[in-house]
Amino acid sequence: MKRPRSVQLDFAAPVRRSSAAGLLLCLAGIAAATAVGVEFRSALAERARLDGAVEAIADHRRSPVETAGRAAAANEFAKMSRELNIPWTKLLAELEAASNDMTSQVSLLHIEPDADKHLVRITAEVRSLPDALAYLERLQRSPVLRYPMLESHERRKDDPEHAVQIKIAAEWRS
Amino acid sequence: MSPLWRDEVAIYLAPRKVALARRPRGLKARVSAATEVAVAGGGAGDCGPALARLAELLLEPTWQDAAARVVIADPWARYCIVPPTATPLDAEGRRAQARYVLEDAYGEGVSEWNVVLEDAPPGRISVACAMAEGLESALIAALSPARLKLVSMQPQLVVAFNAWRRRLPRDDAWFIALEDGWLSAVHLADGAWDRIHAARLSGEPRVELERLQAFGSLTRAAGCVGRMFVEAPPWMRERAKRTGVGLEWLEAEDAGDAQAHELALLMRANA
Repeated sequence: MKRPRSVQLDFAAPVRRSSAAGLLLCLAGIAAATAVGVEFRSALAERARLDGAVEAIADHRRSPVETAGRAAAANEFAKMSRELNIPWTKLLAELEAASNDMTSQVSLLHIEPDADKHLVRITAEVRSLPDALAYLERLQRSPVLRYPMLESHERRKDDPEHAVQIKIAAEWRS
Repeated sequence: MSPLWRDEVAIYLAPRKVALARRPRGLKARVSAATEVAVAGGGAGDCGPALARLAELLLEPTWQDAAARVVIADPWARYCIVPPTATPLDAEGRRAQARYVLEDAYGEGVSEWNVVLEDAPPGRISVACAMAEGLESALIAALSPARLKLVSMQPQLVVAFNAWRRRLPRDDAWFIALEDGWLSAVHLADGAWDRIHAARLSGEPRVELERLQAFGSLTRAAGCVGRMFVEAPPWMRERAKRTGVGLEWLEAEDAGDAQAHELALLMRANA
């Protein structure tokens, strides 16, 4: 049975009171928000669990020792590959030819290749500084080398003939 | 104490009585302290003595630092029914209309009073109430030193009706609220108030009952038997029931002696 409606007359707070339906709607909203929150929280936990499992599997696949070993092997292989790519035959033949051209005025003492930089360092002895410059000019004309440069020269005082020791650096052409 | 959920102090302010009840915050309604005192020299024409007595009571820490819900006795309130208008009015227009109806019923004495209007749907009659302009500000001034924040100030007839409305029929019934020296009555039609009467009562119960019977005869003269539901404090009810005929007295199953009758009504109306 319907009852008389309430009368709302308030001098201090002339506001309507919330109806029972509104209160129920509010409670339903709070319950729904709570349910969504709980669901979201469990979904987050599940995602974290799956992330952890994926991480564990990935870790298992690439163990640190194996990874380090592989890296070292790869470095070694690259180094070997670079050394194998040095054109020793052509280099030595060219240097020999250059020495011959200088009519035995040049004595090759040391050849040191740097495979990483495509660089060869030549240590030689000559009788005088003009001979050293002539040798350098001969190397500059070489089809195997490029940019030969005189890095240093030193007169050997301990040598009775006062020979000059020179160091030349040059790139080789691949 | 949280400012959003504070203890409440319910206050009943009448010309010859002041009652207080403190309700601690919580989901379960209960009363932690209650008191009821007489006001010496109080009268319907002057709320000063009652407010002064209230200020004295509020010196006790028991009643301090809470939200205050105040019930104002009907001798300090004036009611009227505001008819619907042909053209829709905004809030200010409706208030002006209510003020016009009040002045028409009670004279220019209420022209400066504060008016509140029920928020009724368009095209429906609504209830308006007026109280003396200085009453609210004087009340706030009395509450402030006790750190009481006024959150509600309602006239007693509204509180009593809302407390009992679930026991009332929707149509053709009188709801009568009796208090010390005053009678307020509303007639219900289609679930809403359509007539309001207020009268000063003599101290003689027999005279008061004759007035009630007169209300009953008013409804019967219209050709139908209108039921009359009477709300009254227990002391008045007991004296009047011995002689009342044809009246239905509203009584709660749990009397709630801990607090004043008027404040128990407030608690039930808010339940």
